[in-house]
Amino acid sequence: MLVLAVVAGMVAFAPVTAQQLPERQGFFDIRSATTLLNEGVHELEARLQLILSDEALDALNSGVPLRIELNFEVIRVRGLWLDSLDASLTFTYELEYRPLSQRYVVRNLNSGDQESFATLYSALNNLGRIQGLPVVDDAVLDLDSRYRFRLQARLSTRQYPAALRLLFFWRSQWQLESDWYEWTLAR
Amino acid sequence: MDTRKIRRAAIALIGAIGVGLALFALFLLSWTPQNSEDYESLHITILLINIAGVVVLFVLMVGNLAKLFNDYRNHVPGSKLKARMVGMFVGLAVLPLLVVFYFSIQFINSGIDSWFNIEIEEGLDDALKLSQAALGIQMRDHLRTTVKISDRLQDVNPRQLIFELSMMRRESGASEISIYGRNSRIIATSSDRSAGSLPQMLTDEVALQIRQNRPYVGLEPLESGGFEIRTAVPFGASNRSDLGGVIQALYPVPDRIGMMADSVDSSYNEYKRAVFIREPLKQNFTLTLTVVLMLSLLASIYGAFVLSRRLVAPIQDLVAGTRAVAEGDFDTRLPTPSRDEIGFLISSFNDMTQRLSSARREASLNQALVEAERANLAVILDRLSTGVVALESDLRIRNANEASGSILNVNLEDRVGEYLPDVAAGQPLLEQFVDVARVHLNAGETEWREQIVLRGEVGRRVLTCACTTLPGDEDHAAGYVVVFDDITALLQAQRDAAWGEVARRLAHEIKNPLTPIQLSAERMRRKYLHTLSDEDAQVLDRATHTIVQQVEAMKEMVNAFSDYARAPDLDINRFDIGVLAHEVVDLYRAQESEISIVLNTDTELPEVEADMGRIRQILHNLIRNATEALEHAEGGRIDVGISAAEVHGVDVIEIVVADNGPGFQTDSVSQIFDPYVTTKPKGTGLGLAIVKKLVEEHAGIIVAENQEEGGAVIRIQLPVNEIARGHMIARLPGLVEKRRERA
Repeated sequence: MLVLAVVAGMVAFAPVTAQQLPERQGFFDIRSATTLLNEGVHELEARLQLILSDEALDALNSGVPLRIELNFEVIRVRGLWLDSLDASLTFTYELEYRPLSQRYVVRNLNSGDQESFATLYSALNNLGRIQGLPVVDDAVLDLDSRYRFRLQARLSTRQYPAALRLLFFWRSQWQLESDWYEWTLAR
Repeated sequence: MDTRKIRRAAIALIGAIGVGLALFALFLLSWTPQNSEDYESLHITILLINIAGVVVLFVLMVGNLAKLFNDYRNHVPGSKLKARMVGMFVGLAVLPLLVVFYFSIQFINSGIDSWFNIEIEEGLDDALKLSQAALGIQMRDHLRTTVKISDRLQDVNPRQLIFELSMMRRESGASEISIYGRNSRIIATSSDRSAGSLPQMLTDEVALQIRQNRPYVGLEPLESGGFEIRTAVPFGASNRSDLGGVIQALYPVPDRIGMMADSVDSSYNEYKRAVFIREPLKQNFTLTLTVVLMLSLLASIYGAFVLSRRLVAPIQDLVAGTRAVAEGDFDTRLPTPSRDEIGFLISSFNDMTQRLSSARREASLNQALVEAERANLAVILDRLSTGVVALESDLRIRNANEASGSILNVNLEDRVGEYLPDVAAGQPLLEQFVDVARVHLNAGETEWREQIVLRGEVGRRVLTCACTTLPGDEDHAAGYVVVFDDITALLQAQRDAAWGEVARRLAHEIKNPLTPIQLSAERMRRKYLHTLSDEDAQVLDRATHTIVQQVEAMKEMVNAFSDYARAPDLDINRFDIGVLAHEVVDLYRAQESEISIVLNTDTELPEVEADMGRIRQILHNLIRNATEALEHAEGGRIDVGISAAEVHGVDVIEIVVADNGPGFQTDSVSQIFDPYVTTKPKGTGLGLAIVKKLVEEHAGIIVAENQEEGGAVIRIQLPVNEIARGHMIARLPGLVEKRRERA
């Protein structure tokens, strides 16, 4: 009977595990990133390559909005001591497909601005082109210290209902996360 | 607490932890705030706890199952009952669980599926398409309007361009119309928004389409909700090269239509999302339910093991206890588990074993007492001078004491279990004894008393014998016990005492008148001898002479009796008996007799502790006895031998006097030592009686017998010293009485 129960459990989960077909896995990559000082504010210039996995794409086309987070960190180099994380910023963008207009809407959740695109390509292209995004005021940075900045893009699943989060947790296609791209602050 | 209990408690604790974990995890699973930020990690924790609970319970279950299987195979008491109970409990628990599980899954799946149906989906699809169609008409209209505006503006004077643009915007209902030159530079714009707000830039899409010389129309969702229709057409005139570019017009979708379109859009999206989420939701519920089922199953199986173990444990204890009692361990006490029927059974068992134990203790105590009594009896029997022989009803020897052996000259103690007549074969004394006993037993007399005279090589032996039955069954006697005493010595002592009395009386009654008789006869002779005639005088002389001579003889005889009766204390000295023997023998050799006396003494004789005078008298009497026996024989020879020997472990000096005379008359051998028994014409008949008396005073043994080649031999065994004398008295109890009597 115990075996029966186990088999029943396995059968129930079979769809979860059996969907390992050769699909596009997707990836996030930061091609370049730097900051430019403009009127006392360091502004981020970055080029990202955001390729969605088939599952994420499927979800997007099923009306599930995707959230893409840009994590930016300011790290102060401390020589012999461990480096200190002085600031950490997250810019969140939401990508949503609107069936009525058949457009992809990219929404900056930090500012509330949104743009719509007829194709996913142009939406992701727009998302991957960060220009003049103010990240840190130069005044808060210590003049005598050396700083490292780093950037990471990732697909967030925190906003979804539990059932989806549980599903996404086990799926590699939902673990889209770029490596940290790091550069030093040039003065 | 022993290790078994600790182990059991540890396992129970692990089980409790497993069940606790499982319940905690289940609680968390249902309680978890599903939208919490750290849902994944929380969920993983919960899942891990659940898995840990499942693993713990599974390991416990497998361990219990293996143990049960092992016990069952090894026929451990109670294992079959336990297996049956576990099977029953598991069956009771598992079947309903599986049924509930199955129906729950069914309900969940059908419940979730019921949220979706084809009609709703089609309705939503239709609504979307309708909205798209309705908005599509508007979009096409607005595009046409934009094209018209573009056509009209072609010919407008550039200085009036802004004005015309504003007018056309108002006419067309657009919210913003902008003209872009090359490089997307804004040439002119008109907007209904407040001044200061910037006109919208050309998007890449628009620019791309215009570059391809195609008009652009698009429905764009707004941040604030609703939609906006963006149209763009190429704008430019051959005569106005500076204006070659794009006219973009933005038209608001009416609020009401926009809201409805928004609603359709979001509803459609919601529905699609719900469809998308359907399978994960089902899987999630199934997973949760499966975990719950697994935990419940394992917990209930483990519970079944625990419960059956608790129920069976007292029964197993009882079985083990019963086995222990069967093997003779009455000290087994079982722990009383509860106050129920099993508890009552176990306390009854404990009572029983306690009683058995005390009964056995009493029995062994009684046995020990009996053994002690038996040992005492054995000691008493061994120390008795009375012979005791216990016989089975078939005359097998059951028991015999040492005295019986020494009286009958057979060691009966070593022949226990043998048939008495077989033991008696070749043992003259015992044979006679058995014959007498048989006569009585054959006659059916089981209780009898008789004085038996046994004739042996060393003389006769008188026994008083009594027989009685041993208590046995009602019909059969368990055996007989024959008790007998050697009263030979006692009879002898009585005879000796009688003779002593006679001697004393003779001394007193006869010796006193003898002197007056002798004196009277002498006086008569002296007074009348010379007065009488020769003839009468001769008669008188002869008569008085005879009287005096006979009186003398009578005096001698009376003195001899007196000597026999008198018993002065022994005067013990150490002396060389060889030297003494030489002295005595030389005295007889000097008498110029024809009898040859040969003396043989051991070269190394120990010194003897004895009354030298009496030993001398013994030797005198024996040699004189022998010479008198050989008085008329030719070639008479007396052999006197003195040697050291050991009798019954006692050091003795053996004196042997043998002659080659006529020997003892066979019928008088047994009474040869009685006073006045003599085979010789001469002699008082007291010689050997006195010798025997003297020997017995020294705790010695004297034996008279005839030699096969003729002649008499007398053997005397005297203890060499006081210690040996003590041992001899202990060995021959009959001597004690005689010595006492003498004393």
